Amino acid sequence: MAGLSASSTLAAWPEIRDQFAAIAQLRWRIFINSTRTLRGRLEVVSWILMGFGFAALGLGGMFGLGAAAWFFVSHGQTEWLAAIFWGIFLYWQLFPVLATAFAESFDSANFLRFPLRYRSYFFIRMAYGALDPATLVASLWLLGILAGITVASPILLPWAALVLAAFAAFNMLLNRAVFAWIERWLARRKSREILGIVFFLLIISVQFIGPLIARYGHRAHHSFSTYSALVFSGERWFPPGLAAAALAHATHARHAAAVGVFGLLCLYIAACLWILDLRLRAQFQGEMISETIAPVSEGKRDKKTSARTGWDLPGVSGPVAAVFEKEIRYLSRSSPMIFTLLMPIVILLILRLDRAATAGARLHPSPHYHPIPFGVSAYAFPIGAAYALLILTNLIYNSLGADAGGVQLYYVAPVRFRDVLLGKNLIYAAVMVLQTVLIFVAATFMFGPTPLGIVLATLAALLFAAAVNFAVGDCLSLLSPKKIDLAVFGRQRSSGTTAFAGLGVQIVVFGLVAGSFAIAHFYAGLWLAVVLNLAFAAAALAGYAVLLGRIDNLARSRREAIISELLRA
Amino acid sequence: MTTDTPAISTDNLTRRFGQLLAVDNVNLRVTAGQFFGFLGPNGAGKSTTIKMLTGLLAPTSGRIEILGRDLLADPVEVKRQIGVVPEGMALFGRLTGAEYLNFVGRMYGLGRTVASQRATELLEFMQLDSRPKTLVADYSHGMQKKLALAAAVIHGPRILFLDEPFEGVDAIASGTLKAMLQRMIARGATIFLTSHVLEIVERLCSHVAIIHRGQLVAQGSLEELRAGVQAQSAIASSNGEPSIAPAAPGEKLTLEELFLRIVGGSRISEGELSWLG
Repeated sequence: MAGLSASSTLAAWPEIRDQFAAIAQLRWRIFINSTRTLRGRLEVVSWILMGFGFAALGLGGMFGLGAAAWFFVSHGQTEWLAAIFWGIFLYWQLFPVLATAFAESFDSANFLRFPLRYRSYFFIRMAYGALDPATLVASLWLLGILAGITVASPILLPWAALVLAAFAAFNMLLNRAVFAWIERWLARRKSREILGIVFFLLIISVQFIGPLIARYGHRAHHSFSTYSALVFSGERWFPPGLAAAALAHATHARHAAAVGVFGLLCLYIAACLWILDLRLRAQFQGEMISETIAPVSEGKRDKKTSARTGWDLPGVSGPVAAVFEKEIRYLSRSSPMIFTLLMPIVILLILRLDRAATAGARLHPSPHYHPIPFGVSAYAFPIGAAYALLILTNLIYNSLGADAGGVQLYYVAPVRFRDVLLGKNLIYAAVMVLQTVLIFVAATFMFGPTPLGIVLATLAALLFAAAVNFAVGDCLSLLSPKKIDLAVFGRQRSSGTTAFAGLGVQIVVFGLVAGSFAIAHFYAGLWLAVVLNLAFAAAALAGYAVLLGRIDNLARSRREAIISELLRA
Repeated sequence: MTTDTPAISTDNLTRRFGQLLAVDNVNLRVTAGQFFGFLGPNGAGKSTTIKMLTGLLAPTSGRIEILGRDLLADPVEVKRQIGVVPEGMALFGRLTGAEYLNFVGRMYGLGRTVASQRATELLEFMQLDSRPKTLVADYSHGMQKKLALAAAVIHGPRILFLDEPFEGVDAIASGTLKAMLQRMIARGATIFLTSHVLEIVERLCSHVAIIHRGQLVAQGSLEELRAGVQAQSAIASSNGEPSIAPAAPGEKLTLEELFLRIVGGSRISEGELSWLG
């Protein structure tokens, strides 16, 4: 890391400062310019609302963790700070990876064309995105902990500040290093998909922890305590444990041990710095990962084949069938999307494990006879179906997003937008039908047969929800499109306007459906829910048909905004 | 449509973006069978005009007729007759080349069998058939340009609109594109293209129009443009105006020279940018 020495950095500081100022000004202008349109202003409003959420998380955690730190230190249990530090560490590292929509995506090529020194580039990379929600929230938490420690033992303030600053530096460097490597893997479509599947499995596996512990925890007390002893003895050698140990040793006036442990923490920081330096240096030296096709030798070329005949769908026009076929091909080539669509089955499995774990506690049969079945067993199918629909709304509400620049074809070809959106809605309907069948089979297999009344009421509710969501989704797809890549999880900021509008629609739809089930329970007749939901569905389908008939006007009036948004790099 | 009906005609075509008048009362006439080059400096209004002619952008006012039909009144019928390679190429990255051409063919109303036959022929002609399993997103830029052109002609359009078709294309791919375009012209199609590569336009196009600051400043065959510039030079020199350098008698101006004389290329004056090496 010769290029990062303190003296050379100080010498170059005026230049680095000017470049930082230029980038800050650039980002400010981009923000200001984005508010010129109504859509941009709505996005800002939605970000402000999300900002309140993060502020609540940060300030709440700051007070809560500060109180916990005060408790541990004032009761002589400073080493228990390790539990808090592990929590902060996991949040700091996992939140930006799992919620990449909130993270900054950085294209280093944008800055590499300028005459930047390596140290400027390094510090710009460190500063870029340093104000992301994970860093801000975690920093607030650490400030709270510092305050808690100081109140409990004021003499610890300088040492605690140093240790916590080192812990924060470690987390920031590790986070940047992880992202720098992820960025490299995400540069290629194939590795993007593989990484997407890994994230997906990670998310799923996290959800299984609770039910599995609840189910098997009581059987394995002995082995659990053995493993936990092993884990606790090992955790102290990792940065969260080291930070807590450095503070604990200082509390007990074991200064040499405190300094030694702090030294180990600094070694971790140096290691992260080195890993990050490796990656950034490679980028700085011009590493470019291209998506374009690599030349192949004649022998490796695919066998020439003639184009296959397209699909024919009975009862629909050629363009509608063509859009349907194209959408199927898009979905089938998106491994992350296929995994996401299978998620409802996983949720049922989690529910099944949870139910098995808590059987007897919550779900033992009621001593009173009730004519309408109640509980997770009876409602597993509707719960799974509702979850499936919620997931599908990601596609329905931004149905043009994956088409990107291809959307221009819909405007230059002799087709009506009605046909294009109908083709897309047909594929979503087909996916819904397939998911419903799978969920029905899975629910029957895991929870036993669902009562017929609930099945029919659920199907009627799905019809209603589908019609409403297709109608609203078609409008939002035209009003607020956002370019997306179906091959990746996250890292693509969705439209805040669409997210809020979609939330409102789901509240109304689920409210009406839940109301119909509540009325059915009240009058002890599930068929009432079927009739009510069918009535809702009829009204929604009529509305959908009217809207589809007029969608061409909306598409025409929005064409410039749609094309410019979806053509954006 | 009679034999005199122009393939493309616009009457007072105008487009405003807020205060900016991007296209100002443009009256274009393109005869059927012409290879027509539409030129202009950056920001002159070329792309805005071609977007309006192809239905990608609504005009603020004015009229567009394609093959005698009003584009605004009868957009679907007009679109059946035209093929377009727009600025962003309108590709679908997660389809293979064959699937994409099939899809486009069917969107233009071709039957399934016809669409797949033509897709096969076009892939072969464009030398894109050796990688049938490769997704369009993984194509090189030149391959994508060739595929976009193949898609634009799959339904056998009578008019082809091309926005910068040779931008970022190497000599080999460019040769294939030119071969395809010349074949279409030979069979009576009309081609309307915008390009910054004036050498290519000069070699391919029989007629050109030049747009500058949103206004059409010249239109005609290359010979007509040369004659116009010569005449203007003569008038200017007889009036003692130095702005347009007179062409020497018998001098045949290249399209680039014509373009610069009509549009007035900016020149760095003494003292300007003195810090520049």
